Amino acid sequence: MQNAKDSFYMALRTRLAAINPERTILLRGTVRPGILVEAAEAPFSQFPNDVYVLRWLGLGIDIDLGSTMAAEECEILYQTCGTQSFGGLDRGRSLDEMDRELVAMFAPFYTPKLNYTATPPTVMLTHVFWDEPGFGPISVQRDRLSRSAKVMVYSYQEQGE
Amino acid sequence: MAANWFSAPAPVARRVRAYFAPVNRVAQTPVLFDAAEQGGFSLDRPPAPWISLGWIQEFTRKSRSKTSPVLTGIPAATLEQVRTTLEAELSLQFLSWTKLTMALATGSQHMNLLVTASGAVPSGDGAQAAVAVIPQSGSTATSIVLTGADAAKFVPGSIIALDADYSGQMGFVGAPVAGAYVRQALADVDYIRRVTFNVGLVSQVNSTGLTLAEPLPGGAPTAGDKLQAVTGFVDRDGGSFYQEWSALFVMQGSQGERIFFHYPRLQNMAGAEEAAIPLDGKNKNGQTRVLLKGQYLALPVTDPLDGERVLCYRSFLPASNALVQ
Repeated sequence: MQNAKDSFYMALRTRLAAINPERTILLRGTVRPGILVEAAEAPFSQFPNDVYVLRWLGLGIDIDLGSTMAAEECEILYQTCGTQSFGGLDRGRSLDEMDRELVAMFAPFYTPKLNYTATPPTVMLTHVFWDEPGFGPISVQRDRLSRSAKVMVYSYQEQGE
Repeated sequence: MAANWFSAPAPVARRVRAYFAPVNRVAQTPVLFDAAEQGGFSLDRPPAPWISLGWIQEFTRKSRSKTSPVLTGIPAATLEQVRTTLEAELSLQFLSWTKLTMALATGSQHMNLLVTASGAVPSGDGAQAAVAVIPQSGSTATSIVLTGADAAKFVPGSIIALDADYSGQMGFVGAPVAGAYVRQALADVDYIRRVTFNVGLVSQVNSTGLTLAEPLPGGAPTAGDKLQAVTGFVDRDGGSFYQEWSALFVMQGSQGERIFFHYPRLQNMAGAEEAAIPLDGKNKNGQTRVLLKGQYLALPVTDPLDGERVLCYRSFLPASNALVQ
């Protein structure tokens, strides 16, 4: 299942870099697209603004198929305080922009499954695919607006997984 | 060279995509889809002459064919079966309202509401129309050359209908899709442009003519074609005409596999009907999406391969590297 999670994350990351190349984060000395996996980074006391954070939640398995299907729920959290140049008064627009980018990242609703433990990554036989996301309400904390979206990510287990 | 493989479970698909191709009603010739040759097409760019109808939902199909046993012996036992009737029905809901989807979801002629002449007497399916204009030489499927005076009659965003004058033709009329069957001579010179499927949206207007947002289904204008502006569309519950079309439905699976349902001949079997779907499931009395409902009867074609009469071809293109046994 790790290959599916890695492939989903890398698909969103690649798409974000194309949709908005300016949304980046400096992390561990490297500038990279502004999306990360919570469980693959050092613990945050507070999530960074203006980037997407992936958090994996539930897991379901259906073994009564030709290939075992895994369904994993992914929550994508993001928040913004707007920009300094507008004194944060554009935080609503900034969150709307992140909403739009996230919607664009989800399409198309599939990506090839790759094994990222190999160098270079190897293409596997199946695709990872997902549903439309469900967006939660905006949460307001002082000048910070945040939102999360949840999506079910499906994949088939292949030999050796 | 070697390949790995996997055991593919049942396909998982999000939605169904529908495509239309015209049946030549005079020659009674449908358009056939060859999944072996054409099955890999991009869903947004179907091979000619197929035209996308967009996404559909509530796609259900049902075979109504009946079989009877041939009984022999005492006591009688089934020796074999014979197919006594050949019949299939399908229903769907279109997720868009276009000239094509409206026409295919109605039971009879589907008409263009031509821009009316000044002071024309109101009529249920459009009053007397303003005078048609003549495309000039050099026109194409996406660019209509007009005189400056004629071009000034259109604005960007206009809908146009392009087809021949009605001059006493009988039988099927309209190109490239037969829009009606004329049983008795009519008086309306614009009748063919009222029922034609050859419509388009004007994206630009200049002194030399019109540019269209999409190519006209009928291609470049031919001699005798004329052009009129359209305000919308109208259909009627009743009448004797049945739309007939070649249909292709595609389910794209999550692993790249494809299921095709190809009905060479479909005819409407119900009048115009809509389905209202609430946008917010928690507020049934709020905004609703109005979908066109279509119910169809499949008509048979004779397969030249073996002379069998068939209603539908179901093709399956498996995912890459999926086991097939």
